[in-house]
This record gives sequence, structure tokens and C-alpha cells, in this order.
Amino acid sequence: MNDGPLIVQSDKTILLEVDHEQATEARHAIAAFAELERAPEHMHSYRLTPLGLWNARAAGLDAEKVLDTLLTYSRFPVPHSLLIDVEETMSRYGRLRLEKDPQHGLVMRTSDYPVLEEVSRAKKIQPLLGPRIDAETVVVHSSQRGQLKQLLLKIGWPAEDLAGYVDGTPHPIMLDESGWTLRPYQRLATENFWAGGSGVVVLPCGAGKTLVGAAAMATSSTTTLILVTNTVAARQWKDELLRRTSLTEEEIGEYSGAVKEVRPVTIATYQVLTTKRGGLYPHLELVDGHDWGLIIYDEVHLLPAPIFRMTADLQARRRLGLTATLVREDGREGEVFSLIGPKRYDAPWKDIEAQGYIAPADCVEVRVDLPKDERVAYAMAEDADKYRLCATSETKTVVAEQLVAHHRGEQVLVIGQYIDQLDELGERLDAPVIKGETSVKVRQKLFDAFRAGEVQTLVVSKVANFSIDLPEASVAIQVSGSFGSRQEEAQRLGRLLRPKQDGRAARFYSLVARDTLDQDFAAKRQRFLAEQGYAYRIMDAKDVESC
Amino acid sequence: MPPAAGQEAPPGGNVGLMSLIRALSKELEARSDESLRALFAARPDLISPGVPDFPALAARASARVSVQRALERLNRPQMQVLETLHLCTNTDTGHSASAAVLKKAIAGSTVAAIEQLLQSLHDLALVQRAEPPHGAGPGAQRQRFYLPVSSLKDVVGIYPAGLGRSYTELVRLQPAFAQRVVQLVAELRRSGAAVQAATTPMDAALALQHWTSSPEGLQALLAGAPERTTALLARFSNWAMGAVPQAQRKASVTTEGHDVGPVDWLLARGLLVPLDAAHVELPHSVGISLRGGAIINNFSLTPPAPMLGVTTAALRRNAALGAIAETLRLTGELLHAVRDQPLATLRSGGVGIREMRRLAEALRVDHHTTAVLLELCALAGLIRLDVDSSCWVQPPQLEWLGLPRQEQWLWLVNAWLASERAPSLVGQPMNGQPVGPANHRPAPAATVNALSAEAQRSDAPVIRKRILEILRELTLEAKVPDGAAPVLNAEAVLLRAEWSQPRMARRFSSLISGVLAEAELLGLIGSGALSQLGAAIAADAPDDAMDLLGEHLPAALNHVLLQADLTAVAPGYLAPDLAEQLQQMADAEGQGPATTYRFSAESIRRALDSGQDAAAILDFLRRYSATAVPQPLQYLVEDTAARHGKLRVGAAASFIQSDDEAALSELCREAAASSLGLVRIAPTVLVSMASPRQTALVLRGLGLSPAVEEAGSAVVRLNRTAPLPGTGRPVYSAPRTALPDADVAAQLAILRSRAEHGTSPNGSRPAAAGAEEATQLGLETLHKAIRLRQKVVMNVVDSLGNAKLETVVPVSVAGGRVRVFDPAKDTERVLSIHRIIDIEAAEEMQQ
Repeated sequence: MNDGPLIVQSDKTILLEVDHEQATEARHAIAAFAELERAPEHMHSYRLTPLGLWNARAAGLDAEKVLDTLLTYSRFPVPHSLLIDVEETMSRYGRLRLEKDPQHGLVMRTSDYPVLEEVSRAKKIQPLLGPRIDAETVVVHSSQRGQLKQLLLKIGWPAEDLAGYVDGTPHPIMLDESGWTLRPYQRLATENFWAGGSGVVVLPCGAGKTLVGAAAMATSSTTTLILVTNTVAARQWKDELLRRTSLTEEEIGEYSGAVKEVRPVTIATYQVLTTKRGGLYPHLELVDGHDWGLIIYDEVHLLPAPIFRMTADLQARRRLGLTATLVREDGREGEVFSLIGPKRYDAPWKDIEAQGYIAPADCVEVRVDLPKDERVAYAMAEDADKYRLCATSETKTVVAEQLVAHHRGEQVLVIGQYIDQLDELGERLDAPVIKGETSVKVRQKLFDAFRAGEVQTLVVSKVANFSIDLPEASVAIQVSGSFGSRQEEAQRLGRLLRPKQDGRAARFYSLVARDTLDQDFAAKRQRFLAEQGYAYRIMDAKDVESC
Repeated sequence: MPPAAGQEAPPGGNVGLMSLIRALSKELEARSDESLRALFAARPDLISPGVPDFPALAARASARVSVQRALERLNRPQMQVLETLHLCTNTDTGHSASAAVLKKAIAGSTVAAIEQLLQSLHDLALVQRAEPPHGAGPGAQRQRFYLPVSSLKDVVGIYPAGLGRSYTELVRLQPAFAQRVVQLVAELRRSGAAVQAATTPMDAALALQHWTSSPEGLQALLAGAPERTTALLARFSNWAMGAVPQAQRKASVTTEGHDVGPVDWLLARGLLVPLDAAHVELPHSVGISLRGGAIINNFSLTPPAPMLGVTTAALRRNAALGAIAETLRLTGELLHAVRDQPLATLRSGGVGIREMRRLAEALRVDHHTTAVLLELCALAGLIRLDVDSSCWVQPPQLEWLGLPRQEQWLWLVNAWLASERAPSLVGQPMNGQPVGPANHRPAPAATVNALSAEAQRSDAPVIRKRILEILRELTLEAKVPDGAAPVLNAEAVLLRAEWSQPRMARRFSSLISGVLAEAELLGLIGSGALSQLGAAIAADAPDDAMDLLGEHLPAALNHVLLQADLTAVAPGYLAPDLAEQLQQMADAEGQGPATTYRFSAESIRRALDSGQDAAAILDFLRRYSATAVPQPLQYLVEDTAARHGKLRVGAAASFIQSDDEAALSELCREAAASSLGLVRIAPTVLVSMASPRQTALVLRGLGLSPAVEEAGSAVVRLNRTAPLPGTGRPVYSAPRTALPDADVAAQLAILRSRAEHGTSPNGSRPAAAGAEEATQLGLETLHKAIRLRQKVVMNVVDSLGNAKLETVVPVSVAGGRVRVFDPAKDTERVLSIHRIIDIEAAEEMQQ
């Protein structure tokens, strides 16, 4: 019997025993076609999906190689039905090809006539196709390239896109590697992306996704559009690009609610692009009115629906998606992949942590007991109010105070969902509060003060969930969150993961009211991180003082 | 009906004039012991039950049922020779045929090959040596002539060798055709066909027969046929009857246009004869001409070699072992699910869709797999039907659960081989489902329920065995490179079955794909090829298979990996008792060799409910974890336990309360009180599993004087505790194809001693001994007389019990009655067969 590190399950998951001597070898071998699903401490689990297999085909891996990898590294016999399934799934890729025809423009060709017949009869696909040239070729409206690809994927006949990309307007961009170098995984991610043309790079928070973007821009050396979540993030991008590349202030434009500059490198917020006026999106023109050679989507997991639609029309431009947590509570991860491109690089958080590029983190769930009057109020409350009641319990404020006191001298973030609760905390802790209504200017000033250590404790609402770079924050106390959002939890932890100068571990506290909805949601929220191998210690509120 | 003295004919005498059965009796008697042994080995039903003497043996060998069974074992060339012999001879008139005669009717054959096949059929007592027919040339004396066994015509059916009946017979039996045929011939003549003129239907039939009897003539005729005619006729090449809509339509040569369809064209020329509104028949002479003038045109001594794909030995082993591990795991899970909640049956029998859905959900596999697994469990005796509750339950102390995996596997394989159920039929549409007219919306087809009577197939073991044999043959024959294995599919198996046992093939066809799928589930087939295990099983070497499997199955694991995301992963097959305990405190997830157990507050509560406490759970986890117990898991267990069991509920039939704690302690230790199942739940309270009355009885027996409090009515449940019959391990023995040597020897001894007695001076035989043979002889005489329209002399008993000899001409026999024509009274009568004491052909009497 083989003694490999993999166990291939009949439900199409692959378990990888991390401590096995061949584990690294096997991980690299399967990463090309299987998607990492969970990465707890001993057994990582990967999943075989049609999308993953097709991406592997797109990257030049054939079914035989995949089967051989599975059989070589598997400890037990591989379910035969799975082998057949892999072979069949992979053989579906590439029967349809999108190509450039000198005479007809974009066309879809096939070597398998019935497949073309089948797809051209599909109700949703029919309107996207132009006239039939011959039995095996049909004209495709070039504006429908993205949508067609997406629909073909949905009906199980993914097209191989050989039509290539437009070059965009050239603009020289270079990395300015003085005093720093691109980390190996950043370089690998950039190379993978560039080789694939378009796609998504998944890296943990704090692992330097911006630099992957910068490196991609340097490789491309064309005009670039960067889409980010909010204005603060836009400014951070700008600062980072100024510091790390040859770009100058004049070459970088900001396109946000406040300023509307279009420069060779333009950073726009999702919000301004999706502003609707009179049933139209007036700012979407920014995207298709210019000859961008590269479009970068920061925090691609947050991509709003109109941008999805717009992206479908941009298939001829190179697209790079960046994210730490490709989980969407609306389950549209698949669409991200089909529109932006397949996952080009993904590393388990713990791997990057082991390499020392992100700070180790200690997650603690603190269970608080509701006082009796709150328990009664909770028991009698309407369902709609229950979560708010337990999440904003009075005892949480007390515990938060204790924790802040415990971590005196460190940079502490207190994060919450409910404004009342945050205001009260701000008052009790004598700390500034950043929430939605805080102006960008004030926000930036406070963040700067926090970075500089002038403010040690900051109370923030969900506006600070993403993209905010706070390198020296080492403790976060989460008092409440938006229900069971897995990625919010991960992103909040992500605020702490920039490596600390003294190599300290970050500490993430999540305050949870025992025996309430809060506890159920907390369990759900923690799933992503737990699957990435972050183990939550659980602690009772009464033990906080002694810890 | 003892043979009359002086009627003895030498063996191999003129059977044309003598009863074939009697001739066979002589012939068998003259055979060597060795030859008889071979015969009994090939046709075991001849001597089971035993026969008293050779006439009885001959009678049985000629009986329809026995001949039918014998024919099922013949291969295609044997069958073809036998059918050709049947067509070329007449057992009634004694018109026999030799190999040289048959050679002309079998294209591509040689005399030697046919002679050899005839000899093999002769050894099987299916054909007999006979005198040459009258008028045979001088060379005939040097040849061997044969006649088939008399009941063959009943067994081969109306289309021997797939050929239709002759025009004359069709005219005789199809009144509608008889009415039309004269006109048809006339029309053909008018259109210029070279048919002889005819005035009576019989003449017309002969004219058509003559017209169609030359292959060249027919080809010339067909050259002018509409296109697709050849394709249509090809569909009649194996079977003379076919379905055609509106078979009795008006089709005539005189009225047909240029765009005539092939069916109309053929009907108009009498090349197809309508039988009823929907069926037509290809007449004998047309069929022969289409086969180029031969009865058999696809004769081959070697079986057709199917085109087989190839897989690698590594893939085959991977698939087979994977399937075995998966099947055993799922079987275990299924048993677990049934143990948790027995499976209710439907009133109409079988397990309903709702229960199946529940089971499929528990196993996380699709319905069909669930059904097959459930059937497998049932046929292996792993679950049984509890008659009291009409539920399928797991028998207590199931031995299977504790066996090593290879033995578990063999248990299942043996049970499967021996089972008369066909698991794969579950979910298929029911047999004999009426097919509604096309314009009606089809009613939802009723399907076969799991564990219902419809999936019963008594011939399943034989078919399964045969399929495995065929798989083995094909695998051995296939020429594949080293490290590769031939992929066998249902078509290849069916093709071989059709060659090696054409009469059985139809029964095969409905089961083949099911059997192959089941064999795949059991790892006998892997990646489409017969696995080494399957080969060993097919070769009746189950122990070899088990040893082989034992080498390849990894040993059971005794540890899990605990992780902080509240899961335990078993990286492989877990020891059953460990899995059982884990299942109590965590929920199993995933599908495959490794199982993930997820801990949650509910699952921990479940373990606490079953009587464990936090310390025990953590201790268990520590003992079986390869890694440290993660803090969140420890917290979960402790936290759940801390808030568990504020109120405790348990079962007890009575309680014993006493302020004397020492007395209670003593009672707990008392051996005589152990039957009460005493548990101490508090220092001063014991609970007993026995009723108050019984408890009091036992306590009194111990010299204590309890006071029984009859507060309320303590319900006393009477449990049926009759010990259940142990479920034995299934022992598979291949379906009996041969009798034990001892039985054969004993039978031979009886036959030989009878034969000696038979020739002894008194020559009397016990009347009862001849009953079977007498019936066969009587029926043979009767059938022959009907066909030849001969007179017979019957000894008939009337309603008063008086026997009377009557000379009549039998007309037909059916349903236990004979219709006879009485020439003396010139009337027809019906007689019950059971009133006929014996029957003799009138001519024979006169001799």
C-alpha cells in the first residue's frame, strides 16, 4: 500500500496530512487543480471543482497528469468514480474556443460540432451570438465576450479564450526596490497572474497585496485603473505606490466622491463608480472610456453588482483581483472567478505566518454572561432585536475596559457594529471613535495619530474593516459584528497582521454573550479563520482579570 | 406399461418403427459406466431424484423439462446442429439424417466437425443413432444416421433455427392467408412473375414455395425491391416473426405504385405472411433462400472475440480496493442507521421511498446505491425482518461487525453469490407493466421497491456464477500487454453468453448490467476489468481472494487527529469500536476512506445523555488522539457538561428505598439480586429494572421483608425475549452443476442391478417403478398419433370404474384432456387424461 500524504474522498475532497514528509511536494502538485478549502492544523482539505479542473486545463495541465498526481500521492485507493469524473470534466474544457478571426473579429470555434449546436441553442446564449460562418464557427459580439464566457461556464462547456488582450496605452512604471525587495510569494503571485493573463490573487491581510498590484503594474507598464473600497484605502494605495514605484504624484489620480482626477494611474472607489443618477451610472464611463492596460480590483470579494456587469464587458483588458478572504456571504465567489479570472495564487495564512511575513495571532473568544435583567429582556425580545440586545450587552463594555487596561501600552483597536455601543465605549475608554459619519479628513488624521502612537486606543465601526493599514495595532477587541459574516471576522483580524517591529504576536479578542444568538453567530464568523488554522482559545469573562 | 416380451429390438435398431424412448433405454443400457457418469454430470436432473431402471432413465431423458434444461447448456454450434437435425429429420416417420446431410444445410461446416458435435449431442442423450432413411444411397451404410430426441420439437418452439414455417403449414394454420393465397398467386402471375398457376390454397402454397426456393431467384427478385427492403429483411434473419403495424393491410402487386413501401412490397408478393393484425412471418423457404440456401449461415466453432478496451492493472487494483473499502464502510454506516431506527416496511411489501430517502441521507449517497447496499445487507443476513414490528432490524450480537474487513467482504461476496435476489432490479420499472396507448399520458411507472418480492430471481445464483465464469474466460483469452487488463462490458458478456448458452442468453440480458454493477461494488470488477479478487472468486478460490485482500487492506487505525476547528479526522479506516464511540460524541462528515467527526454542543450533549461525563469524554479523546486536545474542544466539552443534566431522567421499573444505607450496599453486592439490575441513584435509593412484584419476590427470597407501595400502576411490560436465531455466516457453494460422486455411483449400481434383474427369467418389474416411464411413453404415443393421425388403442376407465379398450384417433391434447375421434361411432369426444390407463398405437398392436 502506498503511504502518501493525501486521502482522496469520494465526495471530491482531498485531505492533506500536513505533518507528512511528502506534504509540501503533494501540496504543490495538487494546488494546480484543487482548491484549498480548509487549513486547520493537521489536515488541510482541498476540493475538486469543475472550475478548478478547468483552470488547470487552462494552465496546460491535462487529465492524465491530474489522475497521476492523485494516484501517486494518495494513501488509499482513489474512488474510481472520481477519476472518471475528473477525466470527463476536464475533457469538456476547450471544445469551444474564442478566437480572433482576421475577417470576422471575435469568433467561437469548436472541434466538436454537437457541442456548438447545443450551446447555440441555449436560450440565454443565443442572443450573444452573431451569424454562423460555417458548421464549426460562429461570430461573437465582442462586447459579450465576458457574459458569454460566464454563461458557457454555467452550462458546463467552458470556452478557452484565445482572443488575447488589448495592450492598453503604454506608460512606464518601475518598482523602486530600494531598501526592500519583493517577497518570494509576491513575486510568484505576480508571475502566475501575468502568465495567466487575468485572475485573482488571494493573500492574507497584511501580506502585502498592494505590492503584488504594484509589481503587476510594473510588469504591464501601461495605464492602470485601480478600484478600491473607499477613499482612505485610495490614499493608502497612492502612498504605497509613491513609495514603492517610480510613479510620481502627478502620474497618480484619485477618482472619488471628493476629487475626480484621471491620470495614467487612476485610483477609483467602488462607491463613486456605482453612484446612480437618473437611472444611469455617470462614472462608469471612466472605465470603458479609456484605454487601460490593466485593471486592479482591490478587495475583490466586495465587488458590487454593477461592477460585476461592467466587468463582463471588459474581457479584453487584463484584470487582477486582490483579496484575503474570497468568501462571499452571497455565494458569488464563482462569478468573481469567471469574470475577473481564475485564482492564480492562494496561500494558507498559516504558511505566510510561518515564513514570518505576517504576525502570528492569538485569537481569544471571551464568553460573557448576560446579567439577569438583560437575560430577561433578551428572552422577551422580538426576534429582530435579539441579536442587537445580546451583542451590545453592558457586560461587554466592562470586559472591554478590563482588556484595554490589561493591554495598556499597546496599540488597541476596539471594533464594533452598533454606534451606540461604540459611542459609549469611546466615552468609557476615553478614546476617539471613527464611524461612518466621521469625515475622511478626521479619519485620516486619527489613523495617522494612531500609527504614530499618539492615540493608543481607537474605537472603530465597520468602516475600518477593510484596507486600513495600521501596522502597529497589536490588539483588537471585537465587541459586536454584522451577524455571521466570516470575512468580516477575518478582515478585522487582518488589521493586526502586519508584522510588528518587535515580533510580538497580535491578540484578537472577540466578546461573545453566552447562550445567545451572539454565540451562534460567533461560531459562524470564526469558521473562515478556524479553517485557516487560527484556533480560538475560549475564556470566561471572569478569567480576564487574571490572564 | 411394461414392454411386451418379444418386442425387444437390438440397440441402435430401427427406431423409426419403435418408440424412441424404448430405443434410448436400450442404448443407455449398452453404454459404459464412464459414459453414463459423463451423462449424469452433464444432466444431473436425470438421476435426481434417483431412477429405478433404464427405461425410467430414458423416459426422463426424453421428458420436455429435462430436454429444456439440457438445451440451456448447449453452445451455439451444438444448438445449430441440433436444430438443423430437427429440421432435416422426422421422428414420426423415422426419417433420419447423417453428418453429410447436415453439412449441406450448414454453411461453412465440415463433416468431421458436425460428426463431432453430433457425437457430443449423442453423449448427452439428445440425439439417437437411427437407421438410414428409405431410399438412402449405397454409401449410407458407412455413415452414421441420427434422430433427435422426440420431445425436442416441443422444446425448440415453432421457429427452429429462427426459420419460419413453410407456406403449406401457414396455409393450413392461417385461414386468412389460405383465403388470400390463390388470388395472390394469380396476381403475381399477371404481373409477370414466374409462379406456377394454382387453384387451391395448397397448390398456391406449393407454387410460392417453389418460386422462393432458389437463393439466386430471390436475389433477382429483391433487386427490384424498394430501398430499405434488405434492411427490413435483415431484421428477420434471427427470428422469423416480426411486428408490423397493420399487418393485414391490403397489399397487391396490381395496385402498387412506384413509391411502394418495403412492407407492402413484401406482403404483396407473399414474402411476408401476415399472422394477425400486428405480426408477420417470414416463410421457411424465403428464410432459407435469404441465408443462401443453408439453414445455418453463421456457423463457427470458435466463439466471437469481442473488442475489448484496456485499462491498467494499477487502475484496476485501485478501483477494486477503493470499492471494497467504500462498500464496507457504507455497509457499516447502513447498519448503524438501521440500528438507530429500524426500517419500516410497506403493507404491500418492501421498503418505501420515504424510508429509503432517510437512509440515503444518512449514508450521503444516492438512492440507487442505497437500495443496492440495503439489499446486500438483507441478503447477507446483516439485517432481518422483525415479524412483530414488520420492521427491518439489525440482529443482536451481529458477528459480522467484529470481523476483520477481509472476512466481512467475503461474507458479503458469498451471500451475494448465493442469493436469489437481484439487488439491481430495485428502482427498475415493475415487470409486466401494462404499456398504455401512445396518446395516453403514461401513468407514473411503478418501480420495484427495495426488499420487496419483485426483486426475487430464483435463477440469479446460476446467472451470476456463469457471468463470473464468462468474465474469467474473456480475461484469460484477451491478449493484452503486461500491466494491462481488458475492460469487459455487458455487451461483451452477452455476446459470449449468446454463443456459449444461446438458450440462456435472454435470461442473462436483463441481469447482466446489474450483476456487473454489483460485482464492481464488491471489488470483483475494477475499472471495468475482472480484478484479481474477482478472478479468484470466479475460480472458486475464496480463501485466496481473502488472503489477497488481507494483504492490501490497511490495518485499522487506533487514533484520530483532533483539530482546533472542533473536528477529529480519522486518517483512514478506524477500528469499529472507536468509530462507534466517536460517533456518539461527534457527527460524522465526508465520504470516503477518511472520516471527519465534527464536535458540537449537541453532539457532546448526546454523549452526556448516554451516561458519559466530561472527564470520561476528555479522557477518551486524550487516549485516542495522536495530538493534544485543543483548548476550544476541551472548553466545549467542559462547558457543555457543566450545564448538562440539571434534571436526570432514567428508566426503572421499581425502586427500593431504605434509610439503612448499609443494607442497600449489601443488597447491591448480593449475587441473588443481580437479576434485578439494581442501580444506586442516591445513598438511600436503589432502582430496579424488574417490576415491583418481582423485585419484592426476590427481596423476600433474600430474607428481607419489603413493603410494596402500589402508588399508581407500575406498568409491567412483557417483552418477548425469545432468543433470536443466530445469524450464521453465509457459506457459498457454487450452484450445483454436478452431483456428488457417491450419489452417481449408487445410482449406477441400482441401474445395473435392475438391468440384470430385467433380463432374469421372471422379468417382472414393480408396477410403480414404471409409472414415470409409462406416462412418457403414453404421451409420446399420443403425440405421435396426433401428428400422424393414427389410430390408438386406449384402456379407459369410465365414471363407474370399469376399464374398457377403445380404438380412437386422437385429435389434440391440452389442459389434461384429449380430444378423440371415434371412427366406430363417427363422433368426437373429450377424455380426461387421468382416466386413461394405457395407450398403444393401433399398428403397433397389430404387429
